[in-house]
This record gives sequence, structure tokens and C-alpha cells, in this order.
Amino acid sequence: MNRRSFIKTAAIAGAGAVIGPSFIGEALALDGPLVAMAKGVPPGKITRAAVNALGGMAAFVRKGDVVVVKPNIGWDRNPAQAADTNPDVVTEVIRMCLEAGAKKVKVFDRTCNDARRCYENSGIGPAVENIKDPRVELSFVDERRYRMVDIPAGKLIRRWPVYEEVLDADKFINVPVAKHHSAALLTMGMKNVLGVIGSNRAVLHREINDALPDLNRVIKSHLTVIDATRILVANGPQGGRLQDVRQTKTVIASADIVAADTVAATLFGKTPKEVHYLQIAQDADLGVADISKIRLKKVSV
Amino acid sequence: MRVLRRISQIAVFLVFVFLFLNTEYKDNDILPYAVNVFLRMDPLVAGAATLAGRALISLLWPALAVAGATLLFGRFFCGWVCPMGAVLDFADATIFRKLKRRTKLPANLPRLKYFILFFLAVSSLFTLQMVFLFDPISILIRSLTLSIFPGINMAINSLFDALYFTNIHAITRFSEPVFSFLKDHFLAFEQPQFRLAALVGSIFLLIMAAEYFQKRFWCRNLCPLGALLGLLGRFGLTRRRVGDSCISCGKCERDCRMGAIGDDFKSTNRSECIECLDCRSVCPENAVHFIGRDKPELLPMNMGRRGVITSLAVGAVAAPIFLSEGYRKVSDPSLIRPPGALSEDKFLDRCTRCGECMRVCTANGLQPALFEAGLAGLWSPILVPRMGYCEFNCTLCGQVCPTGAIKRLTPHEKRKTKLGLAEFDRSRCIPWKGESNCIVCEEHCPTPEKAIKLREEKITTLSGEVIKIKRPYVDENLCVGCGICENKCPLTGYPGIKCTSRGESRAQGAELLTTDEG
Repeated sequence: MNRRSFIKTAAIAGAGAVIGPSFIGEALALDGPLVAMAKGVPPGKITRAAVNALGGMAAFVRKGDVVVVKPNIGWDRNPAQAADTNPDVVTEVIRMCLEAGAKKVKVFDRTCNDARRCYENSGIGPAVENIKDPRVELSFVDERRYRMVDIPAGKLIRRWPVYEEVLDADKFINVPVAKHHSAALLTMGMKNVLGVIGSNRAVLHREINDALPDLNRVIKSHLTVIDATRILVANGPQGGRLQDVRQTKTVIASADIVAADTVAATLFGKTPKEVHYLQIAQDADLGVADISKIRLKKVSV
Repeated sequence: MRVLRRISQIAVFLVFVFLFLNTEYKDNDILPYAVNVFLRMDPLVAGAATLAGRALISLLWPALAVAGATLLFGRFFCGWVCPMGAVLDFADATIFRKLKRRTKLPANLPRLKYFILFFLAVSSLFTLQMVFLFDPISILIRSLTLSIFPGINMAINSLFDALYFTNIHAITRFSEPVFSFLKDHFLAFEQPQFRLAALVGSIFLLIMAAEYFQKRFWCRNLCPLGALLGLLGRFGLTRRRVGDSCISCGKCERDCRMGAIGDDFKSTNRSECIECLDCRSVCPENAVHFIGRDKPELLPMNMGRRGVITSLAVGAVAAPIFLSEGYRKVSDPSLIRPPGALSEDKFLDRCTRCGECMRVCTANGLQPALFEAGLAGLWSPILVPRMGYCEFNCTLCGQVCPTGAIKRLTPHEKRKTKLGLAEFDRSRCIPWKGESNCIVCEEHCPTPEKAIKLREEKITTLSGEVIKIKRPYVDENLCVGCGICENKCPLTGYPGIKCTSRGESRAQGAELLTTDEG
């Protein structure tokens, strides 16, 4: 951390202006962002418990908000293989948004395998359709709808096309699955935003540790809900082998995406120092990657 | 009665279009309809594949049913069922409606289709299967798949894109719902793009354009399926018969789309008549019947001995010439066949280039070959990974192949089937060149234990700096050659990793070794 960013961080912490809505005031009183970590079964229940520990969805979603819920639907894998977000976690988040009075909840991901196969076999497509609420809108990504966004402070990226629905939404709720990734080491919330950007995102993998903080500068997650109901510890991000899956029965939620990722990293036995982009993100004031400064609220179901 | 025939043509064509539109992944790993049924009931395809492949193909039983029905009822298929015939009749009723055809064509032109049939029969017998060039059902599905449907799709997409980008709400509020309805029901999920699309499409257009000379020019003069059905149906029970009330007005003869009626208006060329019943409808005296006590008068069949012998001989000579092509000695490394494809010779014996597998391929990776498999392998399916890869869990191509050239695989078998192997081009691959990490290929590698492995290595860059870099290697025992690595490689131009057919499961001798190295 250089001097300037240290001063900035200190100033921000002091002023209490950490990213995130209303409840932050409460968190700051005890210094550092609040991260909820709910353990237990079933997935839907711990998802709700984690968000409730942050003050409930009403703390994030206001009546009449247009909300984007962005799961990871990247791969043609089934839920047990832990490559995509658990469908029950996704639907629970959507339900909570509806309960909080969201006008519209939009769900999509730019997939790696054939989108139809991913939506179907991840279980997320059928599960979301099953909610049967006119306010819920499951769609495939429409290639025409990317808008160029400048990243003035970008270290690697100067500008990049971002999906319009995300830019136009009132709230962006990031619902990743935590798993192994050989470039990023781990993929969680910060990496999940790669699913809402256009163009040839593969080139970003060369400098992924700079690319992720850059993108998260302009794509702000108002709430991050990390599915760690089961995690993929090897052969990620696609997996396919049940022996690489661990049943961790956990959901992590926070308004601070860096803090949420930092806590999730501990499930893999990694320290945030090993996950370089978390450090870089902290230096860029995107959140807190120092576990000692995070206020962790554990909930058991 | 003519109305009945038209209803039949329209109904069958609608079924045909429905099946075509459903030859696509629709949230179901097993296709719910027998989308390939039109090809499977084609006796020409069945005959050629059986002869050339030297095997009874159980998939093709519907062709036996059609052949049996033809024995009983004559060449009704062409008039009542064939979707190509329906398309041509439709063109006549619309584009060519006002046309007065003046060109006189040689009277023995219709013989040509028999010569084509005999050529195909003999070459098939010598294991050169060329039926793909002339079979109407294959031509139609191939043209629709490779050019017409992608073309329509492109046109509609461009139109709605143009409306969308006007950014005028008054327009998009109407255009977008219509577009999404079309996308849900008719358009392709993603714009299909095929090599050789224009070439394949122009053959179909030529067949259409030939209507300028004659009604059903293709069916009368060229179609070997029509020839085969004509021969089979020669002694069928339903035949054109003309009663005594005939006043020899000649309306039927002038109206006959097949030129099947003799100069006396009473006799019929049985092999040419497709039982469209137009003659029955136009007859002012109701003298024409197809069932009844009147005795049918048949025109003798005259093919000309010389032509028959020549076509047989050409078939016999063509086979060894094509089969001795150099492509067969050394196979092109880019000849990556679909998963479950038979060994190359057997594959070409059966493949009718109908394009069903290319149509159904989820990632648009199967493409028509140009010369990769020799001239006899024209338009046969190959995986072109740079255009599209083979989805690891998808088994659709084997489900739609009408002749079993691509075997139907279970998902488990599919995931074990090697299409080939991937190889790094170390002079292009980013980490191999020492530029930086990349791992995109590794990330996309679909085998549960990744076939692309990363090894952290210390390297000295050109500027003398020592850095650590993750370099990718292919574990050839795990690699299935699906091509997703090549497809997703972020390099423009030549990729840093390339798939070839080396090590494919179907390779000759692959079964001899315990290792997978081919």
C-alpha cells in the first residue's frame, strides 16, 4: 500500500463512507465491514439467514428497485458438480428481493459453454422459472446490449463494454459460487463480474489480478452473496469430478465484495495475501481484504 | 382429388419444417422427435448406404416401408410426400405462374435420371457412395441447414437490429416483442455460420431455376430417387386409366407436370407418373381414373442400351479412381470427425451429407468439408474448432444421423470418445512465448480431471528478466480433442493450441493398444 492510498483508506474509514447502504453505519461503529457467514442446511435457509444477519434484504433493496441478480451459470454442469451457483441460493435471493418490493428482478449470465445447456443443466434456469412471478425475468445475454464504460483509474483496462441491464439497474446483487481457478487462484464475487462484460474477456486472464479490481471499480456489487454450500477445490472453474467437491454448507454475504471474498477464501485454507487481486482491490479502496478488520457474524441454522 | 394431394403436400411440408426447426438443442439432451425421419424413409439413401456400407442399417426401416408402398401404389411419393417436390410445385404456383415455357428439351432427357441412378448403384456397390450429390432429401436439408436458414436468420436479425439501434422507443416497443417471439419459435439460438454456404445454396437455387424450362425439371430429368421409385412402382395397382368417354382434347397431356402422358392421351408412362391427379381434375369428360375396371395402357420403357451400359461403366470406373485419391492414403490432420463417427471408409460409405449433424451441433462446430476427405468426402461433417467446439456433454449429432454414420452414444461413451488431440504451438502460445500467464484453454478444458495441466516454470525473458510463469501441457491420455481450447484461445489469427485428428478413438488400430496414443 502506498502512502496516498493509505491516507485515502484511512480517510474513508474515518469518514464512514465505505461502499454499501444503510446498515454500514452500524458496521462502522465497530470498525470494518460486516460479513455474515451462515452455516447449515438447506441452502435456501442459510442464504436467508446470511442476508438477515446483514439487516435483511430491505437494507439493500428498496421498494420499486430494478435489481439484477447475477449468479454464475458459466458451465454445462449439474448442481452437485459445484461449477455454477446453487439454484436454491439463487432463488432464495430472488425471493428476498421480491419480498423487499423490487419492481423487477433480472437474472442472466454470459456463459462459457452453450448458454441453453448451462441455464438448463445448472438447474438455475428451471428453478428461476419455477418462481412464476411476473417480476422475475430470466434471459439470455443479448449481444447488442453492451455499453462502453470508461475506467479512468484502471490499471490494466482503460474502457470495457458492460452489459446495459447492469448499468441501468438500481441494484446489482452478485451471487457467485466459490471455487478453484488456476489464474485467479479462487473465483468468487469479484471474478463473477466477468459474466456481465462483453468483448473478448479471455484476454483479461493474462493479468487477471489487475483486471478484476479494474472491472469492480465500475461494476459495483451492492450486495454479494457467495454460495459455498459446496465448493470446488481443484479442476476449477469447471470441475466435473465429485471428488474435487467439498460440502462446506456455507453462505457468505456482505455489502463489501472484497471482504466477502476474503472470508470465502478462508474456506479453501487460503489467506487473502495469496489471492493477489484481493490485495490489489483493497489498495484500490474497493473493500477490505484484511481479515482482522472484518466484522464476521457467524450464524448457524 | 387434386385438393387432397395438395393438402398432403402442404401437411407433409409443414411436418418437414417443424422437424427441421426442432433439429436443435431445446433444453433436452435427447431430441424428442425423430427429426431425421425424412432421410430415413428415403429408399435411395437406404439403398446406397446399405450397398456401400455392406451392412443392414436398422435405422433405415422406414425406407423399406416407402419402397413397399411404392410397389403397391406407384411413384406417389414424388407427388404427395416429397418435400423437394412440394417446394418445386410451390415455385411453379408462384414465381413461375405466368411463365410460358417455349424451350423444347430433348425427348430423351428423362433418361438421365436412370443413368444417374445406375451410376450411383454401381459406384455404391464398389463402396463409393456418391448419392449425396443427387439425393433430393439430402440436397434439401443440406441447403436449408447450410445456407437458406442461416440466410433467413441473418436477414431477420439484421432487420430487427436496425430497428433496435434506431433507439426510437416508438419503434422498439413493437419491434422487440416481435423479435423475441421469432427468436423463441423460429430463429436460431445463435446465428449459424457455415463454410461453403453460398456454394451449397446455389445448387438448390439452380434446381429451382430449372423450373424455367419445365415443370418439375429436376424430378423429370435428374432425380435418382424419382427414378428408383419409378422403377419400383412400375407395376403398382393404382394406375392412370382412361375410359371410353375420352374426347382426345389433350388437356391432360398439356397439363401433366411430369410429361408422363403419351401422344394418344390414353397411354401413360408408368415410371414417370407421380399420381398428382391433375389429369383427372382437368378432364372435361371425367374419363381419367386411377382405380377402376378400365385397362391401363402403358408406354414401353425405353432407356437406350448404350446409355445404360455407359452409366454402369462410369460408376464402375469412378469408384477406383475416387478411392485411390491421395487423401485416403494420408489423412488430413484437420479431418476431425463428429464423436461416434465410424472409421473413415465406413463413415463415407454411409454419410449422405444431409447436414443434420451440422444443423444440430450446439456450438456450430461441425462444418462441411471441402477437400479434407477428398472429393468423395465433399460436404461431409468435420469439426472446425476455431469456428465452434464439441460440447462435452452433448450427444445430439449421433441422435440425428439417419444412416448411423455417426453412432448414437450415451453421454458416458461420448465423454470418453476422442475426436483427436490438442497440441500447443509453443511459438504462439502466450505463456510458452514467455509473455505472461493465460490459462484460458485450461479453464475451458471440460474433462473432469483437466487434460491441460499447468506447470509453474522459471523462465528468462528476452530482456533477461527471470520470471515465474504457468506453462500449459496437454495430458494426451485425458484429452478428448473437443476443440474448446482452440476455440477459446484468445489469440487472433492462428491459435496457440490446435486440435488434430491424431489419436482419435475411431482410428484404425486404436483398439490394438492399451494406451490411447494413435
